[in-house]
Amino acid sequence: MNPAALSMFALTTQLTSLSALDITILLLYFAVVIFIGFYVKGSTNTSEEFFLAGREMSAWIAGLSFVSANLGSLELMGWAGSAYQYGILATHWYWIGAIPAMLFLGIVMMPFYYISKTHSVPGYLQLRFGEGARALSATSFGLMTILMSGVNMYAMAVVMKTILGWNITFSIWVGAVTVAIYVMLGGLRSAIINEVLQFILIWAGAALIPILGLIEAGGWHNLKAQIAQNVGNTSYTHLWANTGTFASNPMGVNWFGLVFGLGAVVSFGYWTTDFLVVQRVLSANNLRAAKMAPVIGAAFKMAVPFIVIVPGILALSVLKNPDGSMMHLVPGDIAAATHQHAYDEVLPLMLIRYCGPGLLGLGITALVAGFMSGMAGNVSAFSTVWTYDLYGAYINKKASDKHYVAMGRWSTVVGMLISIASAYILAHASSIMDYVQALFSFFIAPLFGTVILGMLWKRATKAGGFYGLLAGTVSSIGMFIYVHQGGKAALAKIALSPDAQPMAENLFRALWSWLICVFVTVVVSYMTTPKTDAELEGLVYGATAIPDDGATTLWQKPIFWASVVAVVFVGLNLLFF
Amino acid sequence: MGEGTGRGESLSIWFFVGIMTLAYGVVLLPYGAWAWFGHHEAPTVLNNLHPTFWWGLLLTAFGGFYTARFRPKSGDKNRA
Repeated sequence: MNPAALSMFALTTQLTSLSALDITILLLYFAVVIFIGFYVKGSTNTSEEFFLAGREMSAWIAGLSFVSANLGSLELMGWAGSAYQYGILATHWYWIGAIPAMLFLGIVMMPFYYISKTHSVPGYLQLRFGEGARALSATSFGLMTILMSGVNMYAMAVVMKTILGWNITFSIWVGAVTVAIYVMLGGLRSAIINEVLQFILIWAGAALIPILGLIEAGGWHNLKAQIAQNVGNTSYTHLWANTGTFASNPMGVNWFGLVFGLGAVVSFGYWTTDFLVVQRVLSANNLRAAKMAPVIGAAFKMAVPFIVIVPGILALSVLKNPDGSMMHLVPGDIAAATHQHAYDEVLPLMLIRYCGPGLLGLGITALVAGFMSGMAGNVSAFSTVWTYDLYGAYINKKASDKHYVAMGRWSTVVGMLISIASAYILAHASSIMDYVQALFSFFIAPLFGTVILGMLWKRATKAGGFYGLLAGTVSSIGMFIYVHQGGKAALAKIALSPDAQPMAENLFRALWSWLICVFVTVVVSYMTTPKTDAELEGLVYGATAIPDDGATTLWQKPIFWASVVAVVFVGLNLLFF
Repeated sequence: MGEGTGRGESLSIWFFVGIMTLAYGVVLLPYGAWAWFGHHEAPTVLNNLHPTFWWGLLLTAFGGFYTARFRPKSGDKNRA
């Protein structure tokens, strides 16, 4: 999630209200998602069905769900706001910050996750590095997932209050209860079906904004010229040209941080080891589908900036006050004090600009669908990790399958209740949300170091994996505290430049913590005894015969489609260089 | 088997996608037509392009195709 999106909590003014037509569209959506929960309940009786959707999803469904689970509305609105603030640079979080990692997951890592038949990422760590690594990652993942769910929930409520004037408690409970019902009833299967539906709805509700905006601006070239005139430079419409130094772009990052911090560590950490998204791919019905799902997801992910980044950039050109002057959006805290509009309001403002009754309802439904897909992703992943990797591993090891399914349903409800409680607690301490966001990131970068060494390096040992993960996590927390205590001077040391801005801290902290994790893992591994090849079969490259995925023609080969996506990815980066 | 819903169910996930978008198209299209031809367009920017009508038409066509293409058929096995 975009840290800047957290400023959304400072929004104050109500923007619009819904007509009967809009409310009909919204109610229709709620009716369908609840119906789906009841409809699939009958086919979620075993733990495999409840937690992994019976491993019978096609590549398309797993791939769309994979993208949708990540595409919360906070993600949508936060990055649209960042696009207004930083320009097209925000696209990096959708392209270099996602596409290479998604392709790597599909082609290199998925075979190991899939053939090990693990139920979760902590489960894979247990198979590869033993109980210590599993306990550490499962505990941190469960805790952070539930807290992030609470943050998302409260953010949704504030957005609804801001746009429509809805009561915050009403919004929290309606969203939470709806998600709890359909996930509790239908488990991952229900969550996945709804996520695919939500992905389509997000496009149906949001795609009109960039289409109409580009018509109003007179096309992309005119838009670039208008933005250059309005902001006084061309840096807002270039992806890479202004990233040579920290000082040459509005985000205060450089290409090294983007490529190695974001592209190589944060992105790979999130997309290949965060169980929230990996769980969707584990539901695939065969190895080829499991490899294809992230490739399909990557293709769709590449298109998302059209409905997120383009509206934010368009606003720099077309968003005007009623008197015809340019509207200037400001950070959330300033907006709260001055009654201006905040960066994060850019998407609703553009929605209201172009959409009358009916279309407005569709746009609001798209935002709600985004929030609910994010919430369902959190709660279904929490329920799985809790049941398999904490309850089943340490509290009740020998229960029946039926008991674990019941635990999965109960933990969905309990997880949602804790999320609601955390939403209210966090609501009254806005700075905590920054810490929660940071806490979440502490575990991503080192976890990727541990998992990737575990998969690709036979010599990595149980002790190496555990101490590497621990060292990476502790060092990440240490750097976070150091920068928050030391301010700009400390940030300059972490990011290696006095011109670095806060966004650079996340990238460089991730890079350092990953390097520390890898270094400690390697050193400790060489000091301890490795497992034999036979013990590592099915878990590590070089000790595992990768089974044939059944592709016979070029069109069936995941590597071919991954290459196509990679070529388009490079082409887009050159096009917007 | 309905793809994406599970064993023992006949409704495909794509059928849900179709029925949902068709329903939205059916709601938006008549309103868009009324707004356009009755000169009741909401005071939004570019309302002269009648986006509600065209978007409603697009959703109706998309949803109609998916609903028809993935509708549960009488010969389906494992009907719920």
